[in-house]
Amino acid sequence: MQPHKTVATPHASYKPSFRQRVVKDFRRNAMIYLMLLPVIAFYGVFHYGPMYGIQMAFKNFSAGLGIAGSPWVGFEHFQNFFSSFFFERIIVNTVLLGLYDLIFVFPASIILALLLNEVRSRIFKRTVQSITYLPHFISIVVVIGMMVDFLSMDGLINQLIRFFGGEPLSFLRLPEWFRFLYTSSAVWQGVGWGSIIYLAAIANIDPSLYEAARVDGAGRLRQVLSITIPSIMPTIIILFILRIGSLMALQDEKILLMYNPMTYETADVIGTYVYRKGVLEASYSFSAAVGLFNSLINFALLFSANYMSKRFSDTKLM
Amino acid sequence: MKKNTINLKGLVVSAVAAALITGCSNGNGNPPPPEAPADPANTTPVESAEVGYPDQLTYWVSLNSNVSATMKDASEIAAYQEIEKITGTQVTFQHPPQGQELDAFNLMVSSGNVPDVIQHTWSSVAGGPDKAIADGTIIRLNELIEAHAPNLTKVLTDNPEYRKLITTDDGNIYVFPFIRGDDNLLTYNGLIIRQDWLDALNLPMPETIDEWYETLKAFKEGDPNQNGQADEIPLLLDIPMTALNQAFLGAWGITDAFYQVDGQVHYGPMQPEFKEYLTTMSQWYAEGLIDADYAATDGTLKDAKVTNNQLGAFVGYSGSSIGRYTDLMESSNPSFKLAGAPNVVLNKDDQPLLGQREAPFGGIGAAITKANANPEETVKWLDYNYGDEGHMLFNFGIEGVSYEMVDGYPTYTDEVMNNPDLPITQVMAKYMLANYSGPFVQDARYMEQYAVLPEQQEAIATWMEADNSRWMPTLSPTAEESSRYASIMNDVKTYYDEMVNKFIMGVTPLDQFEQFVNTIKGMGIEEAIQLQQAGLDRFNSREG
Amino acid sequence: MNYTKPWSERMFDLSNIFFLIALSVVTLYPFVYVLFASISESSAFVQHRGILLWPKGFSLASYKMVFQNPNIVTSYINTIFYVLVGTTLNLIMTALGAYGLSRRNVMWGTTIMILIVLTMFFDGGLIPKYILMLNLGLLDSRWALILPSAMTTWNLIIMRTSFQAIPPALEESARIDGANDFSILMRVIVPLSMPVIAVMVLFYGVWHWNKWFDALLYLRNRDLFPLQLILREILIQNNTDSMMTGVGGGDRMPVAETIKYATIMVATLPILFLYPFLQKYFVKGVMIGAIKE
Repeated sequence: MQPHKTVATPHASYKPSFRQRVVKDFRRNAMIYLMLLPVIAFYGVFHYGPMYGIQMAFKNFSAGLGIAGSPWVGFEHFQNFFSSFFFERIIVNTVLLGLYDLIFVFPASIILALLLNEVRSRIFKRTVQSITYLPHFISIVVVIGMMVDFLSMDGLINQLIRFFGGEPLSFLRLPEWFRFLYTSSAVWQGVGWGSIIYLAAIANIDPSLYEAARVDGAGRLRQVLSITIPSIMPTIIILFILRIGSLMALQDEKILLMYNPMTYETADVIGTYVYRKGVLEASYSFSAAVGLFNSLINFALLFSANYMSKRFSDTKLM
Repeated sequence: MKKNTINLKGLVVSAVAAALITGCSNGNGNPPPPEAPADPANTTPVESAEVGYPDQLTYWVSLNSNVSATMKDASEIAAYQEIEKITGTQVTFQHPPQGQELDAFNLMVSSGNVPDVIQHTWSSVAGGPDKAIADGTIIRLNELIEAHAPNLTKVLTDNPEYRKLITTDDGNIYVFPFIRGDDNLLTYNGLIIRQDWLDALNLPMPETIDEWYETLKAFKEGDPNQNGQADEIPLLLDIPMTALNQAFLGAWGITDAFYQVDGQVHYGPMQPEFKEYLTTMSQWYAEGLIDADYAATDGTLKDAKVTNNQLGAFVGYSGSSIGRYTDLMESSNPSFKLAGAPNVVLNKDDQPLLGQREAPFGGIGAAITKANANPEETVKWLDYNYGDEGHMLFNFGIEGVSYEMVDGYPTYTDEVMNNPDLPITQVMAKYMLANYSGPFVQDARYMEQYAVLPEQQEAIATWMEADNSRWMPTLSPTAEESSRYASIMNDVKTYYDEMVNKFIMGVTPLDQFEQFVNTIKGMGIEEAIQLQQAGLDRFNSREG
Repeated sequence: MNYTKPWSERMFDLSNIFFLIALSVVTLYPFVYVLFASISESSAFVQHRGILLWPKGFSLASYKMVFQNPNIVTSYINTIFYVLVGTTLNLIMTALGAYGLSRRNVMWGTTIMILIVLTMFFDGGLIPKYILMLNLGLLDSRWALILPSAMTTWNLIIMRTSFQAIPPALEESARIDGANDFSILMRVIVPLSMPVIAVMVLFYGVWHWNKWFDALLYLRNRDLFPLQLILREILIQNNTDSMMTGVGGGDRMPVAETIKYATIMVATLPILFLYPFLQKYFVKGVMIGAIKE
């Protein structure tokens, strides 16, 4: 298995053999490995244990035959997916919605955390914090229900438009509005909850850094730029890498509730496409294949993001 | 450690349960035959040669929401408690969480971890019931029913069409079926119109496409809600729901999917008639007769439009639309009156070709699994529901409590009909299964009393007026067929849903209809038609 | 303290506060809407359109409907159990993992980390997971909701990132005193990481509170169901759309739109109280100042 195991000679170099390094590592870090043991066991049993199910993507799964017994079909499910009439469109829609999320939703929480950090009044800060995280708890069904209500022809928004002499729009059936509505509602629902983690990171900053800066005559903007942001940069980068790694993972349930045939053009994504196929036939194998395709892309994205981050900053995920 | 305690606990529980059951059956003697009087106290033990009822059963069934509103599981329903008294069989019900029944079912079957009896919508299972039998999930029942189910056998002999419906393409009978035992129970959905608006404008009930046009136009211009504003929405075109009854499209004798004429399968959206339908609808839409927001209207918004006195006509149910809206509007607008409109035709006095009509057997039923150690006994137990006592229990509940016999007619008591604490659906669910489903024959006398409003009764009668021979029956495709069919129809359905709205809203002009048809053909619709044809041919050649 | 702010900073403070107030109003509104809707008269509520500034009538009938469900009390207790036991286990597991994987000079650290991150993307699907639980004898037991959720990779990464940010110098003195890794974690790292631990309690707690899918898969015994599963059922039983698939075309239930909102209030209010208790840990500088000695 290990290439240099046999060629290692004791006096050839300073470099200890692989085996020696392993032994030394275990001796030095015995306690750490012991502490990691439950974690490794957990991932081994509950995550890697069921991993054999991935083969379903290459099989025609049938309940009676079980996973092992179902016949292999190779890449048939992938071909079905790639040759779909709508393949290009759903890929474009999926990627675009993912990018919008990355560009607008991701930074929003950071900005909110920074703004909150500038508030002097503790009570005001706490109140705003508590309020902005409330929408996170409201089920998506209700959020979309309110959205449909507000945006309907004689809903609140169109009443306002009429009041200002504009022409009412049926927003939810106009494809050009879908991406905006999806993204802005995501900001609205998630900005407060998302900021929690940055506020915690900010709380970890050593206050003496600010004192030193103040002594040096740095203004508040200066302090934000040269202390706050650099201090929470590792958190930002790690979350950014993770976010890139889930670029293609959208809120399918939300889209299902929001879209209608008139907006398929911009709203139909991989998840909703597979869902509709599932309505016609409970197809575990097909969704396994599409899921695998999605995962591979996401993983490749994460890996590249991690690599870039490793090159250009000290922060890395792996 | 933890696992051991859990298992131990399980052991203790089942030991106690077993002791209880033995105790019970010792006390009661052998269970009486179904023909015996309902009172278990003075029954005589049956001969030991005949198969008895099972001691206990595990029974998987999705829990109806009317049951879960007041009870923990189905064993608390009076009908099941009574049956337990009579048969001595102790049933442990297993209920999947509501709304996720299919997930739970698929996992259960895929893992082979099945109970004795599974009640499910078997027609929706991928590959159909024949595959479930071939896979070894459930067993074929033909012979067992012949030998141990006299009541069901009688029902099937008296009604050969039921036998055909519950027999699969391969000739298997696999369930104790839920059968809607009367034509009145098969129709519950159709076009609904504001009768009070018609009256206010002195209009007759529209029957043809042209009359509908005149009516909707009058709704738009005549201010039938008399609030001085032109805020009326004449028609809410609910595309997904019209699939149930083919409102308007049915006038041309086609459907929005597959249909049959003389055993020949066709796909509706490819027909020239479909273009005529689209032309009409887009004209209506352009003239503001159809809700501009229709494609983005959900149930809540629809409720608001109806209860705000804005909506003139829509597609809905006798219960959840006519009944519910009438109740809701009773106080705020006493003149509010809905009526079921007849299925639309092209020419006056034509016989309507299509309306909503469900098959007497829709695939729901109780099947016996391979894991069941006592199939004969279980068959006998299930068969009880199809005898006279079982029939009354499941449809009307307990005599003297939930119903009384008045001149030979089982009449629901005030406890059911005028319960001060609970809605009628939930009270019914406490005693019987008539208002949802189960392994029994549903009785029309339930609906006669349940749909109390005369509007509801009339609507059902009106909607039933249709030839309906063009509907496709419920087919059972083979596993390969269903996978191929699904991958074609996923694209076709998506494209169809999108384009039909664009045509109606005028986003895409109708001269592109040919192109639309060609695209559908390019997606492989001909193959899908052949698959449907094959399924229909097998259905038609079923025995029975 | 007596430092006078320049004009631009005052402008900033003012507009910042104005912006945050506006944001609060916009984000608070849906919750107010839900609250008002839940105590409205259902027949009046369905007729309203657009903004809701006050309840439409007043009625607690929706709450009565929710609490009438025979499973609700049991499921409440179950959920509290799942949240308490689950979150405790989560914290232990995540801290152990984050500590080990944040150490430098651990030879297999990166490999283990990569293998863990992989599980965020690849999983075997529902059926193998179900079969695993069946084989472990965990089906229909409370542990089915605890053990497979012992930790999440996402939270492990967050905690690990935060542990990595702690200067190594801080643990040197303990190490010189002969402390082993476990006591360094307990005595040095954990006290320094209260903000992130507060975040973990919040994230994990809310996660357990809202979780229902595992219960759906692994539980058939309704006495073990968590609150969310029962509440979902209440939502569904009052959802008029679901009648499209229902068999009883005759269903004539009352409009229960308001029940949806009452359900949300019942499901959300208790967990909302968690936040104020944790919030003090987010207040700047509490920890750092104490440690520096």
